[in-house]
Amino acid sequence: MKSEKEDNSKKVFMKPGKTNKEDRMNFIKYWAEYIKTHSDKEWSSQQKVLIDAQIPE
Amino acid sequence: MKYNKERKEIILDKELNKIDKFTFDFIRIIEKYVDYVIISGYVSILLGRSRATENVDIFIKKIPKAKFISMYKDLIENDFWCINSDNIDTIFDYIDEGIAIRFARGRIPLPNIKVKFPKDELDGDAFNDSISVKLPVGDMNISSLERHIAFKRYFLGDDKDNEDALHVEELFKEDIDYEKIKKLKGLIKLRQYEIRKRR
Repeated sequence: MKSEKEDNSKKVFMKPGKTNKEDRMNFIKYWAEYIKTHSDKEWSSQQKVLIDAQIPE
Repeated sequence: MKYNKERKEIILDKELNKIDKFTFDFIRIIEKYVDYVIISGYVSILLGRSRATENVDIFIKKIPKAKFISMYKDLIENDFWCINSDNIDTIFDYIDEGIAIRFARGRIPLPNIKVKFPKDELDGDAFNDSISVKLPVGDMNISSLERHIAFKRYFLGDDKDNEDALHVEELFKEDIDYEKIKKLKGLIKLRQYEIRKRR
């Protein structure tokens, strides 16, 4: 079983913004970096969950 | 996701969401009749932006009415419908007057595709200034990254648009031609000035 320290080493942390606008901008940068460092299948499966939940059949 | 600037293409091996599939089904029909280019918010969404949308914006080149009618009939046969009217003359009049028309699928209005003819040379340039996104199911033509950023940031410019621009800029910042964005910004500002002058 992996220790908490080992698990966290795989995580990339986002800098929180001081305002809502700054926080949204920071998340966009964070998510873009996630896309660049993960496979298309990995990030797009998350995007699919988000989008498909909002679109009717 | 791999961007080849010289070949003007992006290789994208994504798992398609409902908006991707809906858009792909629509363009597979219209591309038989007319050149198209996808613009605005869906460009960012196709390239990974973490948001949904109610509509996908597409420019099509101006075509004669007869050809437009053939395309319309094909769309209807494939379960799309125009949410603005079911009278083909009215629909063509709208788009020919520069008014965008929307197509949805089934009997529901969401999501929908907003189709328009380019209204001036700057819009029309989008067809030559486009890139092809190579998906597992086929290709989609989108406006160039620089054009997308410029229009989002300097023509539309609300919070959502600035976020859409930032997403694409962050993804491709090593490849983006910032001089080109600057030139497009100038053309956009000139157009806005001319529109204001005519009023």
